[in-house]
Amino acid sequence: MDPMTFSIIRHRLFRIVDEAVITLKHVSGSAITNEGHDLMVSLYRADGTLLMGGVGFLHHLTSAAEACKAIIRRFAGDIHEGDVFLLNDPYTAALHTSDIYLVAPIHHDGRLVAWSACFVHVTDIGAMNPGGFAPQAVDIFTEGFSSPGIRLVHKGEMRQDVLDTILNMVRSPEMVSLDLRSMIACNNVARDRMQALMAKYGAEAVDTACARLIEQSETLLRARLRELPDGQWQSRQYLDVNGTTARVVLTMTKQDDRLVFDFTGSDPQSPFSINCTKWASLGGLFAPLFPLLCYDITWNEGVIRPIEMIAPEGTIVNCTRPAPVSVATVGAIQSVNNAACTTIGKMLAASDKYREEATAVWHANHFAIFKFGRNQKGGYSIGILTETFAGAGGARSFADGVEIGGEIPNPISRMANVETVEGAFPIRYLFRRRAPDSGGPGMYRGGTGGEMALVAHKAPDGGIDYVISGKGARHPMSEGLAGGWPGAPNSYVWVKAPERGNTPAAAAGLDDIPGTAERVSWGVFPLKGHDALYVRWNGGGGFGDPIARDPDRVAADVAAGLVSADSARAIYGVALADGAVDAAATAALRAGIRQDRLAGGMVQ
Amino acid sequence: MTDTATRGRLLSPAIRLAGGDCACAACGHVLGPAADPWKHHAVRRETPLATAGGHGWDTGDDAVLLRQFFCPGCAALLDTETAMQGDPPLIDRLAGA
Repeated sequence: MDPMTFSIIRHRLFRIVDEAVITLKHVSGSAITNEGHDLMVSLYRADGTLLMGGVGFLHHLTSAAEACKAIIRRFAGDIHEGDVFLLNDPYTAALHTSDIYLVAPIHHDGRLVAWSACFVHVTDIGAMNPGGFAPQAVDIFTEGFSSPGIRLVHKGEMRQDVLDTILNMVRSPEMVSLDLRSMIACNNVARDRMQALMAKYGAEAVDTACARLIEQSETLLRARLRELPDGQWQSRQYLDVNGTTARVVLTMTKQDDRLVFDFTGSDPQSPFSINCTKWASLGGLFAPLFPLLCYDITWNEGVIRPIEMIAPEGTIVNCTRPAPVSVATVGAIQSVNNAACTTIGKMLAASDKYREEATAVWHANHFAIFKFGRNQKGGYSIGILTETFAGAGGARSFADGVEIGGEIPNPISRMANVETVEGAFPIRYLFRRRAPDSGGPGMYRGGTGGEMALVAHKAPDGGIDYVISGKGARHPMSEGLAGGWPGAPNSYVWVKAPERGNTPAAAAGLDDIPGTAERVSWGVFPLKGHDALYVRWNGGGGFGDPIARDPDRVAADVAAGLVSADSARAIYGVALADGAVDAAATAALRAGIRQDRLAGGMVQ
Repeated sequence: MTDTATRGRLLSPAIRLAGGDCACAACGHVLGPAADPWKHHAVRRETPLATAGGHGWDTGDDAVLLRQFFCPGCAALLDTETAMQGDPPLIDRLAGA
């Protein structure tokens, strides 16, 4: 194939995915899809292998490939043009039940030539807690509707009996119906554009280009791996849940042009729904690998071939049925993702050529808080606080992390406007801002996370309730690199208003909200009366020794409210006078910190 | 001769491998043979995270530690870990070290 045609087909594949994502967002009516960008669209070859990974949550790219293969196995000989299949069983391929895959075959001249797949986090899936994340679930059977593969559309016609059955099991059927239709529309656009591409260049030429694209990705990644040092790097993540702590332990070994991710040593599967299945772990480790090692390589099956994962069965990273997994995406999957980000970052930092690609861990700790209840218009609302997607950038070897800068596994994640949330729910924000001291200290500082507080407002039932799957308040999870500190952990506080108190109209921070503070993290809680819910999300990890940070940058951070004067002094060793750096006092402070380090430490 | 050949390889931006030893990249202080985990030759400090910094670090649990490894020569902070008491240090190695 001539290089020009190859390049044109390659670019068309990218644009097909982009257009399908736009379609998904245009049809969807939910903030989690439209504004949080909790979605993914990608293309697969006729055998289900990944052809073109799209944007959105990257830990779905490999799992959706497995979903395609599961559908091919289940419906062999009975797959028709215009069909759409639904799959959301985590023990078959999905990450958790509420992230539904719709998988559609693409035919050309009557022959199956490719697949498109997409997911959104549907508004509800009928789990025991509204919204899909079910901290109170004890097994997969309490986590809602779960299918290892069912035909939703047959030869272009909706199977109304199947759709009605699904909608009969969920709390917000009109929204879930819209979620499903947005995915059907997305797959339709992907199919139409793929068919147009094949009509123009011929199915064989497109398939040849696809095969070559996969070969190219494999060749490029193997070449990159050979440029990186051989070695072994370790990382560890702690997940605190309901008073317990679970560990995800990773040893990554790089030899020549291969990478092995070994999770041996991780804790046994948990009684809580933070577990993940092996497909989910595989997706979790690829989520940072795609952007960190393949930022200039097409994300497809070729990238997967040099990678091996070892995940012992029965552990938190490869749980066995019927262990609960509904919180997996913000639980073990995210920890797998963080652990892989750390080891890949360490490997890159050990390379002269690739050091600037190394990063401390970004936004390592989602908080899944689903609000639910009767809204100010008399209807029923369920929805996530999309601030969980706002994130925070990890520091790099040459720059600070981006404040509230998103996350590695979803390059397009973002949060909804305050007004969007207040328009859909009977609540009001007291504040939402960057959280001081949340970015991991370092020569280069981790990006700050954020903080906010909510109260009930014009609620017909006096307020609403919320489901919180909030781990990460006890253990920081955004690990630093090369001496950088981790980002500060999350915080979830229920502020119980004093008797005869009023609901505050605004507040400058947590300490400014009247009442008694009580930590919450796991379960269902009320947001009613004059009480408030305060949430702080983690910052990114830092890079390098904090006392090596340019004092003027610390002063600028203090002036911007990103670092407190106390932290400037105690952690960065920077003395300020009227907001400016006192050079002599700073030198003395830093000398004192060095002395303390050697005096107070333990030589092993 | 390349920069790497003259100055050795980096295990991390803070740790250099040269002449069969690990050394602090900032001051050159030797942190033991390259085949050994360098953390065994560093100054280690474990602090409850709740007291390590300001308000944002208060995890409400003194068992959660910030583990820091310092160069015994120049006191540079070489690496950090969050850890629970008794969990082993994380070990990174380059092949052929």
